[in-house]
Amino acid sequence: MSASSTTPAWLLQSEVGLCPCACVGKRRKGRIIEKTTSGIAALLRQTLFSDDIADERGLLQRLDARVKVVSLLGLLVVAAFVRHIPVLLAMYAATLALAAASKLRLSFFVKRVWLFIPLFTGIVVLPATLNVVTRGDIVVPLGTWFGHHLGLTRQGLWSAGLVVTRVATSTSLVVLLTITTPWAKLLASLRALRAPRLLILVLGMAYRYLFHLLNAVSDMYVARRARTVTAATDTTSGRLLVGSSAGALLGKAQALSDEVHMAMIARGYEGDARSLDTFRLRLVDIEFVLACIAGAVATVGFDRLLGR
Amino acid sequence: MTTSGGGVPTSDEALLAVENVSYSYLERFPALDDVSMTVHRGEKVALLGANGCGKSTLLKVLAGLLFPDRGRYTAFAAEVVEDRLEDAQFARAFRSRVGFVFQNSDAQVFSPTVREEVAFGPLNMGLERDVVADRVNDSLTMLEVLDLADRAPYQLSGGQKKRVAIASVLVMNPDVLLFDEPTATLDVRTQEWLIDLIVELNAAGKTIVLATHDLDSLDRLADRCVVFSEEHRVAADGATAPLLADHELLASVNLVRARGSRADAGGPGLRSRRVESRQTPEMSRSSEVPAGRPASS
Repeated sequence: MSASSTTPAWLLQSEVGLCPCACVGKRRKGRIIEKTTSGIAALLRQTLFSDDIADERGLLQRLDARVKVVSLLGLLVVAAFVRHIPVLLAMYAATLALAAASKLRLSFFVKRVWLFIPLFTGIVVLPATLNVVTRGDIVVPLGTWFGHHLGLTRQGLWSAGLVVTRVATSTSLVVLLTITTPWAKLLASLRALRAPRLLILVLGMAYRYLFHLLNAVSDMYVARRARTVTAATDTTSGRLLVGSSAGALLGKAQALSDEVHMAMIARGYEGDARSLDTFRLRLVDIEFVLACIAGAVATVGFDRLLGR
Repeated sequence: MTTSGGGVPTSDEALLAVENVSYSYLERFPALDDVSMTVHRGEKVALLGANGCGKSTLLKVLAGLLFPDRGRYTAFAAEVVEDRLEDAQFARAFRSRVGFVFQNSDAQVFSPTVREEVAFGPLNMGLERDVVADRVNDSLTMLEVLDLADRAPYQLSGGQKKRVAIASVLVMNPDVLLFDEPTATLDVRTQEWLIDLIVELNAAGKTIVLATHDLDSLDRLADRCVVFSEEHRVAADGATAPLLADHELLASVNLVRARGSRADAGGPGLRSRRVESRQTPEMSRSSEVPAGRPASS
């Protein structure tokens, strides 16, 4: 079969594409394809940025991941039991000092922590500041409502402040841990803490193939965009696109998982996950653990001194 | 004991043998039809054929990952069946003697770091951690990727992933190495490096079986070729040089253009007249094959 006998006539003639006069068509922004591809690119950029931070030679980066997990989790528990805002603020200041010692840009670190606090915590604690929820001395009157005085109470504001500073301190500790530890080492540290090995194996593979599948999604959407010649769209076609992409991706993921399983079997996998990790404490790890213990004892002691 | 074309001693000892093997995916899509062949110790054997002829499927049968619908597969004088591979001792012995380098390195490199990836096989073999750590370092050094040991797979290039995939198999020190399209998707320099490595491994006594449709490097990659037809059968089995010279045979199995075809007229020699160009990374991604079908057979 030769090409000339099968090539349709219309394919041999060039067609007018874009109007040569000017770009006068409708412009639409924020469509699902663009949003998805830029979202994927942003995520990959963020991951690479996190990897760069984890590779820095700062204080926390030098520590064994297992030591870091245990120490910072311990401080997290301490933060959960502290009942005074000044003590929590002191703990928060300590996390800022740790961030600086770990060569993190403070503006980036603070932004990363405080970005979510107003969203998730502020909205939850806001009603608790009103006198209709938390009875007490009104310090900020807001007027009357059906004959009742409405305002923010001292007790309500104190409770809300306590929750917000506690969440900020806890989030800072978690961000410090995750941003200064490569994912692989974080997983290894969970293994050392007796987390089920199979769970760790699955988590590790999920993270590894997340990037592979993100690239697949990106390729699919870029290919789609390359063949999109009109700006017109509607919600039905958008839903169709998302549905078909999800289906195609599921098929790819299944084929890939079959092959990965074969690759594991071929190298003797029998259902038991084994790892090469060995745990050796160094002086810097011991010093950090001791500093954390001293800090925790001082925090709890100071909190008790301030009373209830 | 005889000597192969490459001057490497081979023996008459049959390591792997398939007899009248047939296999179909989902019992609907035939991949192998009545295939018989034997691989002797020290040989470099190439499975040649067009896309979809059954090469990758046969490699998976040889690796004990797929089991024939009909026929018999024997490795190291023992029949390999699913039931027997469920025996831990047999499985460990078999897996440690047969190493499989997949075409899709992304499927093979699944661990969070390169070091853990390479350690996966020997740890499953039950070797001591110290021995495994030494072997991992040796393998990574040999394949010139020691500096990537703590990297995540998504930070590696295609060529680096291929090196890691090979290291993860070599670290188990298998007798037989199976390569699925080893040179596909690699740049020219990495291809040359890999071909040299395969030759070197064969010279060190490893038996090599590889699936390819790349005729360019075949004279170095294989002493013997098993040619598959598009009907999933063995069309020819013999020394590499005479088979490469048999243009009619290669054209009949869709490996070169038939003489007299439009593209062939006045065209260059055999090597550049391959029907299939090398696959691009996008084309070779197994994830683009529908579930249940071979990645590349």
